[in-house]
Amino acid sequence: MSDSPVKAREIETEGLSQGKIILKKFLQHKPAIAGLIFMILFTIFVYSASGIHLGSDQARITIQGWWKYSHEDLLPMGVCASGCPSADHPFGQISNGRDYFALVMRGSEISLMVMVIIGSLGAFIGTVIGAVSGFFGGIIDAVMMRFTDFIITVPSILIGAVIGHNFGPQGVVVLAVFLGIFAWTGLARLVRGEFLTLREREFVDAARVAGASNTRIIFKHILPNSVGVIIVSTTLLLSSSILIETGLSFLGFGVKAPDVSLGLLINEYQSQFTFAPWLFWWPGLILILIALSINFIGDGLRDAFDPRQRRDVKRRAMAKKAAQQTATANQ
Amino acid sequence: MLSYVGRRIGIALLILFGSTFLSYNLAAYSGDPLAAIRESTDPKKETIIAELTKAYQLDVPPPARYFLWLQKVLGVLIGKPDFGIAVSTRIPVIDSLALAIPNTVRLVTLATILAIVIGITFGIISAIRQYSRLDYSLTFLAFVLFSLPIFWVAVLLKEYMAIGFNDFLAKPQIELQWNLIASLILGLIVAGFVGGTRKRFLISWGVAFAIFFALFFFASATNWFLNPSLGIIGVAVLGGLTSVGLCHVFAGLQNKKAFYAGLTSAGIGVAMYYPFNLLANGSANYQMIIGFALLMLVVSYFVGYLFTKVDKGPVITVSMLSAVFISLYTVLDRFMQSWQQYFVETDGRPIQTMSAYNITLDSNDFWIINLDIITHLILPTTALTLISFAGYLRYSRASVLEVLSMDYVRTARAKGIPEREVILRHALRNAMIPLTTLIAFDIAGLLGGAIITENVFGWRGMGSLAAEAIGAQDLNLLMGTFSITAFLAVMATLAADVIYTVLDPRIRIRG
Repeated sequence: MSDSPVKAREIETEGLSQGKIILKKFLQHKPAIAGLIFMILFTIFVYSASGIHLGSDQARITIQGWWKYSHEDLLPMGVCASGCPSADHPFGQISNGRDYFALVMRGSEISLMVMVIIGSLGAFIGTVIGAVSGFFGGIIDAVMMRFTDFIITVPSILIGAVIGHNFGPQGVVVLAVFLGIFAWTGLARLVRGEFLTLREREFVDAARVAGASNTRIIFKHILPNSVGVIIVSTTLLLSSSILIETGLSFLGFGVKAPDVSLGLLINEYQSQFTFAPWLFWWPGLILILIALSINFIGDGLRDAFDPRQRRDVKRRAMAKKAAQQTATANQ
Repeated sequence: MLSYVGRRIGIALLILFGSTFLSYNLAAYSGDPLAAIRESTDPKKETIIAELTKAYQLDVPPPARYFLWLQKVLGVLIGKPDFGIAVSTRIPVIDSLALAIPNTVRLVTLATILAIVIGITFGIISAIRQYSRLDYSLTFLAFVLFSLPIFWVAVLLKEYMAIGFNDFLAKPQIELQWNLIASLILGLIVAGFVGGTRKRFLISWGVAFAIFFALFFFASATNWFLNPSLGIIGVAVLGGLTSVGLCHVFAGLQNKKAFYAGLTSAGIGVAMYYPFNLLANGSANYQMIIGFALLMLVVSYFVGYLFTKVDKGPVITVSMLSAVFISLYTVLDRFMQSWQQYFVETDGRPIQTMSAYNITLDSNDFWIINLDIITHLILPTTALTLISFAGYLRYSRASVLEVLSMDYVRTARAKGIPEREVILRHALRNAMIPLTTLIAFDIAGLLGGAIITENVFGWRGMGSLAAEAIGAQDLNLLMGTFSITAFLAVMATLAADVIYTVLDPRIRIRG
């Protein structure tokens, strides 16, 4: 930092709110910021490229995107008969002439949507169950944790199969909702652990002595203190849910044709790896970039919310400074 | 404690009942098992449908049919479980399971052990050298691996590790520029682990580069990849180096007793080289290999025991691990001796991309048969290890960092205990406690969790069986695989809780 030592000390002693400290630390985490910027730009890019498609077959609301082809258009083969990438089709074409860029955009759109639905539903249910379980303890805790064990045993592939059979290709949202209903177990355990420790703390006793109700203690005292754990595990849930969706689609129990998702695209074109590798690389790279960005954001948030992290960074900066000083002294 | 475990087992059974009931009904409503027959043009299809409906009691609504199924399965209590007959294949489910379980176990065991060992080792190194370049690189690597879908990795491995390597074997010479690049990268990795000041880093990079370059050059010049072997000299050199390395890690090189005990064990291993090969060429079987391994373990234990009077722990560790490694090198060398023959039998394409073993392989030789199993294992094991080791790396790093900031670690350091002992005796033992829970859960998830891997590599295991059963709406087959997976999952949760309380006495069971 180029700041003068005096100014740095002023910043150090200035009273910062919890939120500001966390924001500052998060902004210093370069991979997390890179991930966040990528996710924002990529989401805008994807949704503006393929447009927005809502509603059922009967009443479809469609806002056209800026990309000239739709993923459903059957086009004549372009310059390259084998469908290799060209100026007109940057990601190439598949054998029946569809534009692969449009397909990948549509696939990313679906995968992102499924990810957000699973993540937010899972985070909500997990937080509620973990909070109630950890706060009340005793018999309620025991029952809820055994219920969690029960949910863990239900395989997601089975849910995919049931939804696929009963709702057909239109069931993407339903699939995401049901996967979300079963995806909260890990998060609930973590939140419960956090609540178990926090409820023993003095400030909870103080609030209770002051006459606060359980609801007030949970929402005003414990929840703000455990928001770090919740946010961090939500990001982890998001990155794992995009892998769950793509894995299911890969096996044929997730998103079904004619709709597309990144996993489905990888599955369909893995056999063409030798002669049309771009069909395999694009969806895979996008999928990895999404998962990687979210993992980095999660890591940045974890560091930002962890009060102990600060000391380590400071110690390291101090060690660096000391090394510099000895180096200059030796010269 | 006992009453706690007893109650938990009772609840576990209840959960098992609930989850099998839910899954049975979910599966029953996921499709019509007779759909294929209904759509066929067979004139007798009405009778077939009626027959199957009766045989599989499809006229009974699923919630009630579950109890008919449960009644048969509960035969497990009298030692005769009946999982029914698969609708699609007409084979008893228990037979399919008996074929699938060994494949899955073979697939996941090695991968899990590797992932745990490599992940925890790297996690510890990463934590000890927090905020070093190595730590940042390992963290980045872990995040990339976390984000990889296994089916994507699998396709790449097939393309480059199997097909690419097999093509390379047609003309097994590494060209000079590739040798340079590979040696530079490998040297960089080694130097990263050695670490230290910039000067030390550059020196170790240079030395490692020279060694790798010379080895690759030698391997190309002598067609080593076609006819690999270590020989007794190679085994001795590798074993000796490993034993010195182990001594450095577990006892420190200034501990002469550990140093000599390790070398003695390695020496015994070298002395066993010819007797082992003599036996191995005669009638090799699993009993012989296990017997050899046990003998080496017992002997090396006594070597460690005899070398010391006090503080036997580290010496025995070094001695026994040296014995383990030199035995591994000896067995590896024996496999290498069969490599050329296997190479010929597979028409020059030894690394396999599909299925668990080669059914057309025509050989009775123990080493060839096992080499066949190994070449089929390489790809799925690599894929599974890569994906799952990142998790262990992150968890063990966090856990070790947490423990290293504890007061008792500071106390140990203040007492003047060497850093190695602080980490090995005070920090690691405590850091590993939370990891046991993770490991217990992972092991439970493994038998059912390798669905995608088995699918991509064409293995007939539990996962592919389940996927197939769901695809064919085969309720009996699905429930067969599912009840085993669910049973293991429930038991692992229980085991994790119990192990945790045993390892960490601070955690008390209430009630």
